[in-house]
Amino acid sequence: MLTEYAFWFLTFVAIFSAMGMILSKNPVYSVLSLIVTFFAIAGHYFLLNAQFLAAVHIIVYAGAIMVLFLYVIMMLNLNKVDEEKRSIWSKAAAAASFGILLLVVSAAIGHGHAQSELQSVADTSAIGTTETLGLSLYKEFLIPFEISSVLFLAAMVGAVYLSKKEQYN
Amino acid sequence: MKELILISLLGIFVLALDVLQLRKLTLPAIVLGLLGLMACCALDWNRNEQPFLEYGGMLLFDNTSLAFTFVFSFLALLWFLITRDQFATDAKRSDLYALTLFSLCGAVIMASYSSLVTLFLGIEILSIPLYVLAASDKRSVRSNEAGFKYFFLGSLASAILLFGIALVYGATGSFDLATIAAAGQSNSSLISIGCLMMLAGFAFKISAAPFHMWAPDVYQGSPTVYTAFMSTVVKGAAFAGMFKLFAIAFNDFTESHRSVFVAMIVLTLLWANVVGMRQTNIKRLLAYSGISHAGFMLAFVMLGASSDPKWLIYYVLTYSIASMIAFVIVNYVESYHLGMEDQDGFKGLVKKNPTLAIAMTLSLLSMAGLPPLSGFMGKYIIIGQCMRADLIGLTIIMILTSVVAMFYYLRIIMLMFTPLENAGRIIPEKGQMWIIGIGSVLIIALFFGASIFEIIQW
Repeated sequence: MLTEYAFWFLTFVAIFSAMGMILSKNPVYSVLSLIVTFFAIAGHYFLLNAQFLAAVHIIVYAGAIMVLFLYVIMMLNLNKVDEEKRSIWSKAAAAASFGILLLVVSAAIGHGHAQSELQSVADTSAIGTTETLGLSLYKEFLIPFEISSVLFLAAMVGAVYLSKKEQYN
Repeated sequence: MKELILISLLGIFVLALDVLQLRKLTLPAIVLGLLGLMACCALDWNRNEQPFLEYGGMLLFDNTSLAFTFVFSFLALLWFLITRDQFATDAKRSDLYALTLFSLCGAVIMASYSSLVTLFLGIEILSIPLYVLAASDKRSVRSNEAGFKYFFLGSLASAILLFGIALVYGATGSFDLATIAAAGQSNSSLISIGCLMMLAGFAFKISAAPFHMWAPDVYQGSPTVYTAFMSTVVKGAAFAGMFKLFAIAFNDFTESHRSVFVAMIVLTLLWANVVGMRQTNIKRLLAYSGISHAGFMLAFVMLGASSDPKWLIYYVLTYSIASMIAFVIVNYVESYHLGMEDQDGFKGLVKKNPTLAIAMTLSLLSMAGLPPLSGFMGKYIIIGQCMRADLIGLTIIMILTSVVAMFYYLRIIMLMFTPLENAGRIIPEKGQMWIIGIGSVLIIALFFGASIFEIIQW
């Protein structure tokens, strides 16, 4: 019962803060409401027994990425309300296309649920623990794990290249 | 597996050579490494290697992926040799070379994945170095814009692709292509939508309409050498991944959603050729030409299991050689006209440098699909296959747009052969002119090479 209340509470917080993120004119408020959304989603992970994922989510998203966002906004001095005016047509087109996408995806998920093709996992208590995650990361997902090192190396070399000072001569 | 290890180590080795102040050895090491990569592909032929199967596998080096890997390493080799002069004086070329090699590593993964996880990693490894390379001319506003645009739109496409992967995983409970293929895709709406979203993500990467908007801007803004890389190896890699996904694993989906593919191809061909006609900037024109070729290659994917991957490989190879030569020549000409890549730079090129003019003519005519050149053979094969699949309307549009495309290729050729009163500066012959020569010979020779492809059975 308690988990159900927690679920509804977190869901409302997540949806309303996500809307606040889009609707607020001030970029700093946007970032702050996005942090609230991230915390609410981390709460959902907890309810799904994914403690490790919840912790990582908060550390990476609410911690690192959001601090970076805030830093950039303050550095570029974007906190003034000087949003670029877009034409009503482009707004309408964006709203319509993503609205259709939302409709189709939710219909498909509802339809899929009716077909009961979503397999429900019987025992969820051990799924999200660090131990299970670590075991599957180094067993089933060993190759992707190793391959991702190339990705990070490439991203690192690229970041260093772009931020290196150019010598003008 | 050794292909993947070799190419990753080669990238790291290039970085190490830079640290050890041995920059003179960089290019020879890369050439040796890429030759080694091609040799590895030949050695592994017919082995169908599935490395680390006891750890979940996720990679499959079958003959199709080895052939793609071979073609990519050949094209990369050509690229490294042909752009040698561009980098000769660049002190930071090791970084750029390493990034290019990492991107090639992504291309190898795209050809040989057998799970949606490795597919996603492959696409990211392929793209992330490219975002940097597109923006690598830090002093040019255009290049910065190209990098930014490519990065933002590419990230969005990756996100949509990832959403699609998540939906497919949610419906089937597996990332493995064989498992998903066995489950079938036409009976579940969740899988259908997942597949459609993955199709949208891929359509961005191959620049098929209506997801092609980024291509002209990015191709124009990026340093031309990387445009040459982007329009050849990267596009080929995206098609390798797409063929494996939609023609083999999601064959059910491709069959039942053929109209989506047909609509995309028709839109791509019409848009690219109609808008391409009005371009005066040669890089934008070649970008639209690349988009229209993406439409042709998409037809191979659409035909699914009934089309043989070797013809897609043949098309990728012939288009890539022609496109690479065209972009490299644009690079030459613009470097002698102080950054002006407008078509005026090509006026009277035959007087300034006949070799360049003839090579450019050959590659443009090959892309247009004129009979004695290899581009014709590629178009002939795909149009024939569409005919056999009873897609008469599509066939007619393919032929008509080819004729329209011929018009704008011929305009550039006319421009090059227009005599000028004051020819201006003569563009000197350079050391790697012979590579352009070899490439031009390949354009002609591969026309007859189609019969070799016919003989190779896999």
